[in-house]
Amino acid sequence: MSTLAVTEAPHIDWAGISSLIALFGGAVVVLLVGLLRARFARLTLVPVLTIVAFAASIGLAIWQWDEDTSLMSGALGLDPLAMIGVVGIGVAGIAAVLLSIGATAPREAAHGEYHAMMLVAAAGGAMFVGAENLITTFIGLELLSIPLYVLAATELHRRRSLESGLKYLIVGSVGSATLLYGFALIFGATGSLDYAAIADQVAAKGLGDDPLMLGGVAMVVVGLAFKSSVAPFHQWTPDVYEGAPTPVTAFMATATKVAALIAFLRLFDGALIGASDAWGPALAALASIAIIVGNVGALGQSSMKRLLAFSSIAQAGYMLVGVVVATKLGVQATVFYVLTYVVMTAAAFAVIEAAERESGHDGISALAGLGRRRPLHAIALTLSMLGLAGVPATVGFVAKLRIVQAAVDGDYSWLAIVLVVGSMISFVYYLRVVARLWTDEPAGVAVAPQSQAVEVEAPEAVATTTAVADPKGLPAAAVPGGGAVVVTGATILPMTVLAVVAGAAIVVLGVIPGPLMTVVEDVARAVPELFR
Amino acid sequence: MSTGWYLAVSAIVFAIGAAGVATRRNPLLVLVCLELMLNAGNLAIVAFARMHGSTEGHVFALVVMVVAAAEVAVGLGVVVALYRNRVPVDVDELRELHG
Amino acid sequence: MSPAEAAWIVLLLPLLGSVVLGLGFRVWRGAQAGIIGTASVGLAFVFTLVSLISLLGRKEEGTRQITSSLYEYVNVGGVKVELSILVDPLSLVMLMVVTGVSTLIHLYSLAYMRGDNGYTRFFSYLNFFVFSMLVLVLAGNFVLLIVGWGLVGAASYMLISFWYRRNTATTAGIKAFVINVVGDIGLVLGVILLLRHTGTVDFLEAFHGAKETFGEHGNGSLTAGLLLVMVGAFAKSAQLPFHTWLPDAMEGPTPVSSLIHAATMVTAGVYLIARLHPFMELSQTAQTVGMVVGCLTLLVAGTIGLVQTDLKRVIAYSTMSQIGYMIMGVSAGAYFASMFHLATHAFFKALLFMAAGSVIAAMASEQNLDKMGGFKKAMPFTYGAFVIGGLALSGIPPFSGFFSKDEILSVIGEQGGAYWLLYVAGYAGAFLTAVYTWRMIFRAFWGPPVEQAKELEGGHLYHAPDHRNPATGELEDTEVGFPGPEHHIAERAPAMKLAMGTLALLAILGGLLGIPKVLTPLEKFLEPTFEAGLAGHAVHPGNGIIIVGLVIGTIVGAAGIYVAYLIWGKPLSQGQPATTHSSKWQAKFAPVHRFFLNKWYFDELIDYAIVRPVRWFGRFAHDTFERLVVGGAIVGGTSGAVRGASALVRRLQSGYMRAYSAVVLSGLAVLLVYFLTQS
Repeated sequence: MSTLAVTEAPHIDWAGISSLIALFGGAVVVLLVGLLRARFARLTLVPVLTIVAFAASIGLAIWQWDEDTSLMSGALGLDPLAMIGVVGIGVAGIAAVLLSIGATAPREAAHGEYHAMMLVAAAGGAMFVGAENLITTFIGLELLSIPLYVLAATELHRRRSLESGLKYLIVGSVGSATLLYGFALIFGATGSLDYAAIADQVAAKGLGDDPLMLGGVAMVVVGLAFKSSVAPFHQWTPDVYEGAPTPVTAFMATATKVAALIAFLRLFDGALIGASDAWGPALAALASIAIIVGNVGALGQSSMKRLLAFSSIAQAGYMLVGVVVATKLGVQATVFYVLTYVVMTAAAFAVIEAAERESGHDGISALAGLGRRRPLHAIALTLSMLGLAGVPATVGFVAKLRIVQAAVDGDYSWLAIVLVVGSMISFVYYLRVVARLWTDEPAGVAVAPQSQAVEVEAPEAVATTTAVADPKGLPAAAVPGGGAVVVTGATILPMTVLAVVAGAAIVVLGVIPGPLMTVVEDVARAVPELFR
Repeated sequence: MSTGWYLAVSAIVFAIGAAGVATRRNPLLVLVCLELMLNAGNLAIVAFARMHGSTEGHVFALVVMVVAAAEVAVGLGVVVALYRNRVPVDVDELRELHG
Repeated sequence: MSPAEAAWIVLLLPLLGSVVLGLGFRVWRGAQAGIIGTASVGLAFVFTLVSLISLLGRKEEGTRQITSSLYEYVNVGGVKVELSILVDPLSLVMLMVVTGVSTLIHLYSLAYMRGDNGYTRFFSYLNFFVFSMLVLVLAGNFVLLIVGWGLVGAASYMLISFWYRRNTATTAGIKAFVINVVGDIGLVLGVILLLRHTGTVDFLEAFHGAKETFGEHGNGSLTAGLLLVMVGAFAKSAQLPFHTWLPDAMEGPTPVSSLIHAATMVTAGVYLIARLHPFMELSQTAQTVGMVVGCLTLLVAGTIGLVQTDLKRVIAYSTMSQIGYMIMGVSAGAYFASMFHLATHAFFKALLFMAAGSVIAAMASEQNLDKMGGFKKAMPFTYGAFVIGGLALSGIPPFSGFFSKDEILSVIGEQGGAYWLLYVAGYAGAFLTAVYTWRMIFRAFWGPPVEQAKELEGGHLYHAPDHRNPATGELEDTEVGFPGPEHHIAERAPAMKLAMGTLALLAILGGLLGIPKVLTPLEKFLEPTFEAGLAGHAVHPGNGIIIVGLVIGTIVGAAGIYVAYLIWGKPLSQGQPATTHSSKWQAKFAPVHRFFLNKWYFDELIDYAIVRPVRWFGRFAHDTFERLVVGGAIVGGTSGAVRGASALVRRLQSGYMRAYSAVVLSGLAVLLVYFLTQS
């Protein structure tokens, strides 16, 4: 062919990708503002602009709610499932920004870069949840992951932070490479990169038992299971959660989970639905392993972040159940669960970050007697724990109820049993935290960390170092070798706000789940393959 | 040459990379091995793209190259930071987080 | 006000109390907290009465079962779960018992817990418990039932471990929690199994369709579902083999033992089986299992009660044994009788616990029966209360326990055949009941007064030199997390006297709720709930068996008391002069006494023929069965497996990233092999 084809520029639906633009644009703006020398710009303007960008992406996603098309010649889906993912990631992002105010990580990494990185990761997540093409899926995944590798390692002077960054990078890249190879095999088997075309090919050629196809599916399972920390591909999770700065951990725990689970739904209940006979039992086995490993592993933990990491592994197992059953109910149940998970986890991390600033470590012992010192925090964390455990009257109960129902409805009753047994085990460690909050007396001063001294750096930490007595007359935290650190109500105000809002949401949605449920009804539209 | 041969080579490269990640203690070598794994995927994609006569696959391969480069850049950055903190550059020494 | 509206208010009040106290623990310390807590439950009782009156006002057929829905909670995939309550005679009876007894126990705690440093917390927990129990009782569908079921378990755990710095208390709480979780899993799975067939979670809808769904004689999945549900019922009601948590739960404060572990929560299993009676009647297997387990429990618990030395534990085993009667009865179709016994048992057992609490307070937290004695004079009011409770428990006419227990047994006896075995076992259990009950009375109140009793007679309350854990003897302080420094006894606190007096009155008069053939208001009231399922199943004992039963019951009870008297009550002949009290009794029963002629021979006979075997069996049941089978296999096995798995997971979490990569790659290899074999 010697004649050059006249290529037309593809039509671009600017409105459709507006929420992505908000995130990417926000990243650029934040990066530039972060270069300004004024303290105000770095300390106040940057977080505010980041929140504005997240909020804009949420607003734009809601604006585009009723759309149901695909963009960029089928590369990105514009449908309620994608939009709900964007909203979930946006909420996670706002929560993480609130937790970062006054934290060490953005100070060490420079505020502009830190927040820009978070926005780029969120943009990657937004692509990941909307992807309807193997290329965009891969780009979305990497765009989400690579900034997170960096963010995990942002506390450059803390060995654990670096270790967690490198660990996440190396083990994560093994997962990505496996996923890529799986994509290659699926591409080889079907000759197509588009989800819809892949689904057509699988159905038309009966590729449900084609070795090339199934090999690809196996590798894709590994890649996505890795991202959503489903056992046995979970091992990075506890180490990275513990080592990374807490605001980053919060973002990782929430945003990544939303993105990975929705990608799971799209890929498996959409493009690969034709091979569900093969992947159904395998994913069911992985889900039950995750439920058992996560709940059992969390039992003896003394670090809150580690405990939540294992809990998140178990929660990933619960959510995967909705993918396994491959029904409309399952899709709705998983999406509902993932949204509630964001809220519950955000509440927990808000309290943990505040307690960590006060005591210098994230051990469960740092929470002792919080019920007396900071009742609002203690109530929020209690609600979060009860919600994650699935106690009635919290939104976690409704979420679990839906998953169980989807499992029974989809003829996976045994998986429902594993889920119930797993949740019962989980009560032990969630309630241990709750008991710690309300029963132990604060030991005069907050419990001191074993060895790490809290890095107190001028000038941003002025508020924290001035020896102002706590307005409520609460004891100051004494850190050996680090001078007295007084954490005032004002320093942790953002955490308090987040904890209260998320805690309230846990109860309100738990008692009146109807509205959110109606919203989630729509998402099944995004996986038309289910209804063939 | 049939696609099968390309596929065989790419599988071997993938396996070498995987084995390297699991055995090498120097993070730089681990990064190289990760590169091998990603490029094994690339090789398979390009081979399939030729087999199906589609251009999409080639585009995918280009994208993957960019991503791989970004990943290595971040990896090297972390390694440098480790070195500057006088942490031994050996992945087995990095196990403060465990349990 | 309609019955349902009143019931909603009943449900709301304790929740409100709990939340107010839970959030305002900084504002309301001291007496205010107790008053708020008591008032919320008292008001709930008032509204229960309103609901009852309103329901009684409905005369027409079929209008006494009301499902009231607040709003639709979840509606997905054709399964609709509403936030609905079911107000019918059965739930109202439970409501009356729960709110009534709770009010009195709150009143009692007002004084009893006054010296404790966790006063506000205690009332917040106690109100939360009442709320949870009400959710369980009022639930209009299976989902809400499970919700209530889980909440009462949590409340029980919190209250057992109320003194959280006491190791024995936290261990007991965990034990109760583990066993109850096993039960919860059973209940949830059973309900899931049942729901797959009924297609609706609503109680009334599911019951109406029971026969169409499962067939005239039930089927396998119905039986399997019911058996799983019964695991939940047995665990909550402390029936074999899930009973060991209940004696340990006595680590909680005494009002807790009285409310949760005697009067209300432990009877939830009975309520559950009664509630599911349309299902139960379709499955012969489930009914048989219920009867056998109940019967075994009542015997085993009765024998163990004989050899325990801890005052509260004796009453705890007695509770197990009495609930055994109820489970046996309700499984055999004796619904009215079992609910009747549930109500009277709540009265006299709560009373016994309160009286025991009074003694324990006077003993400065000592609970060992061996160290008690002679409190009769020091605490006449408590003594009177204990005797009334004891008479009711032993089934002596005309006390309430007499009618209710015999009602259960006569319904069982009327059915003939193999049921006779249960009938006889029931009376054997009644004998044991009388013996261990009066053993407590004789040992704690009779005989020479101990130091504590003497001090009390002199007008001083005994205070131990230091505070120790009665079970282990460990030293304790009196800060939050341990029992407080002061203790209050019923003799001095008007609130406690009022509570105990009311319950004593109820224990005496409770029988009026159901004197066979003469006065049966409870049975008439409960009819609408049970008539639907009773087609061809109603058992009405004939006059003969009722009269025989009442006579046997009286004889067995009296004999038990007499045996207890001979062993523990009679003063020692040599060295110590007989007290006037017991010698009078001796004179009164002179013919009976002479009939046995040689007292040594008789004592020996009792000792070898009855006491030793029973003691041996009791010890065997306690040491071997409870420790090894239940403690070892069920609790130990489950938690051991979980703990082992936990250690394994953490060991694998080695921190080596090369190992992590290797695990990912081996996982990949396994998946690849699996998927390729699928092709």
